[in-house]
Amino acid sequence: MTYPVLEVSDVTVRFGGVVAVDGASLTIKAGELIGFVGPNGAGKTTLMRVITGIIKPDEGQVLLGGKDLAGLAVNQRIRAGLALAQQIVQPLKAMTLLENVALACGAEKTRNPFSAMVSFDRDAENRRALELLSRVGLREAANLEPAKLPLGYLKRLEVARALALNPQLLLLDEPLAGLNQSEASELADLIKALNADGLPILLIEHNLREVMRICPQVYVQDQGRPLAFGPTEEVMSRPDVIQAYMGGNTNAAGQ
Amino acid sequence: MLYLELLFQGIVQGSIYALIALGLTLVYGLLRILHVAHAALFTLGGYLGVIITNATGSLALATVISMVVVGFVGMAVYKLAYEPLLSKPPFIALIASIALFIASEEIFRIIFGPYGLSYTTPPLQGYFVLFDGFFLKHGEALVIVLSVVMLAALGWFSTKTRLGVSWRATVTDPDMASAFGINTQNVRYMNFFIGSALAAAAGVLVALLNNLVEPSMGSVASYKALAIIVLGGLGSIRGTLIAAMAIGIIESFGTIYIGHLLDRDALAFAFLIVVLMLRPQGLLGAK
Amino acid sequence: MAYEITLVTTMAISILFALSLNFITGFCGQISLGHAAFMGVGAYTSAIMMKADIPFLLTIPAAAILAGILGLLVGFASLRVRHDFLAITTMGVVFLFVGIVRQQEFLGGEIGISGIRGSSFGRLGFMAICLGLAGAFAAFSLLIKRSWMGYVFDSIADNEDVSRILGIDVSKYKLIAFVVGTSAAGIAGALYAQHFRFVGPDSFGFVESITVLAMVIVGGIGSVWGVAVAAAFLSVMPLLFQFVNDFKILAYGALLFAMMRWAPDGLAGIVARSMKKLRGRS
Repeated sequence: MTYPVLEVSDVTVRFGGVVAVDGASLTIKAGELIGFVGPNGAGKTTLMRVITGIIKPDEGQVLLGGKDLAGLAVNQRIRAGLALAQQIVQPLKAMTLLENVALACGAEKTRNPFSAMVSFDRDAENRRALELLSRVGLREAANLEPAKLPLGYLKRLEVARALALNPQLLLLDEPLAGLNQSEASELADLIKALNADGLPILLIEHNLREVMRICPQVYVQDQGRPLAFGPTEEVMSRPDVIQAYMGGNTNAAGQ
Repeated sequence: MLYLELLFQGIVQGSIYALIALGLTLVYGLLRILHVAHAALFTLGGYLGVIITNATGSLALATVISMVVVGFVGMAVYKLAYEPLLSKPPFIALIASIALFIASEEIFRIIFGPYGLSYTTPPLQGYFVLFDGFFLKHGEALVIVLSVVMLAALGWFSTKTRLGVSWRATVTDPDMASAFGINTQNVRYMNFFIGSALAAAAGVLVALLNNLVEPSMGSVASYKALAIIVLGGLGSIRGTLIAAMAIGIIESFGTIYIGHLLDRDALAFAFLIVVLMLRPQGLLGAK
Repeated sequence: MAYEITLVTTMAISILFALSLNFITGFCGQISLGHAAFMGVGAYTSAIMMKADIPFLLTIPAAAILAGILGLLVGFASLRVRHDFLAITTMGVVFLFVGIVRQQEFLGGEIGISGIRGSSFGRLGFMAICLGLAGAFAAFSLLIKRSWMGYVFDSIADNEDVSRILGIDVSKYKLIAFVVGTSAAGIAGALYAQHFRFVGPDSFGFVESITVLAMVIVGGIGSVWGVAVAAAFLSVMPLLFQFVNDFKILAYGALLFAMMRWAPDGLAGIVARSMKKLRGRS
């Protein structure tokens, strides 16, 4: 049988007495593009960190291609097929954009330090890095250092670096945040195109407009609890989802 | 009886460590700099204390003048040495600070000679008999009392006065404080003034206990105070005080009981390493 | 001639020692304030073996292995603590080393081990060995810098967390940097013991650790040739500046401070900037 690409089941995270994520479950199948939305404080970033292995969940599990990720460190999860573009851009500052991406392209060479020690050739990786930079529209900037580049460039760099890892699943953490309208919709188009090429993507995003435009399905989380999961239009027109966004706090009266 | 005596020795030493390390913590909290040259200010305080006492005959006057002068020197160190380095990677300031410390040790040696200075008529040499066979030198009692008084005054200042509250806010969270309109530049000066003045007081007290100041008296202070603030959790004032006492007492007992295995300095660092392996963020450090 | 031989030998040992720290701090970005401890382990290892009539060349690998084992332990510690905490932990290592050595009878205690037998190579031959080893390690460093391992080191020095997100096993690479760097320091220690025919606890303390760190930073952190030049110069500076004997440490402190204040990227940085200027002009 074939496994879904990613299966998050009943994940709960507590920080001290606060429950940040409460029984989150979601599934991504081959070729899907899922928008992961929710108001501020919904626990989106926390769940993302559970998936990447930065936070250990108190309950529940995360399966990638049917393989339990429990106990694997961040770098091992990346090797297992995850790739992440971070919300807060973190380029390697002393390297050009090309070098940033080429390093990720060389994942096979860097897997084992001793083979890294005796590998010198970077041509193939540089070529592929240039292709990827072209793909995200950064070809012109390939030989620049990140320090002086605008945020829009660095957001794309994050995406290119993640693609360089040849992932089975791409996690995008608010790639559109901080971008202006036209930059955002351009990057959203790129995300849609990447998915159209067959890459499954989980997109955490605040920009509902773009999410509704490009994502066929959404997963909504509110106050750490899963609220809805399904086709975008259907979910986003549900009263409780609208309430969560409008009222900010659906459970205020009940608690 | 031996236990009690060792405990007191540890507390005396711990008080001195606390006075020295507090300034380091303040600087670290605000600027994220490991201020090794702080120990040179401690030495300077000791020298001024001895020289002024010998000239005027008043230890109290010497202590006050020494604290004020060294406080200003501390501000100058910030202005001339650290301010230009704030935007550089942290190890740059660390090495600059070490260089400053090495150079100033030499300056003390060149100006005051290699053998050090002593009080002509050492003050406070008497002792209290607390009970049978247990003595506490006046100087040692002064160390404890003065440390408590100064720390209490600092506590009052930082919680009860307007200036003190903004100071504490800045040390805890510089960005937040400047967002609230606090002039962080002034706070930095104040920080260096207070921290350096406390180090000067410690210098005077150490000079009193040993009846000696010498060019290298700061070397112990330089690295052990670093160990203490790291042990306390870097930037945590309460952590620093606890760590200072802990190191003082551990050294005091350790030298007697396991001194044949490890010398005094190694003991402090052995403790530090064990703690850091268990709690990488230090005793009271925030994660 | 004897004076020149001593001078060159001293330089070569310092270059090897400084490059060994450069491997850890310059390449992999892990600061160490206690590197002299590893030189000390190597020096004591070689000294004791020499006393037991073991040939000098055999003491070199032994010194490297023992120093490397201690380096592995400190490397594991570096996985727990970061940045300033790591700096102070490594400083603790050197104080522990000195503190322990001082109390050990078989290591000569406070007095150290003197009267170490000379190798069979003579002064000139020994100088050649020192130069050879320093040169070999410099070449190895340059090779690593160009390899994919050097590429990964750059990324770890730049940002550990990003390296992890790019799938890099940061811990493994760090441990390798520590083992390689500390083993080389151990070799430098064996050479030191043979050069001075004496080892004592005070030869491998905190001050010596800072001195070698200063060589790395003055040279330009991570730059192989910059560090080599700085090490060569700084190691013989006290000898060259005998005429200002009283002020030589002051001069050293002042130089180091001035360097941090005005040229924190070291010799390598100064040269790179002036090359740029020259090129811009032509």
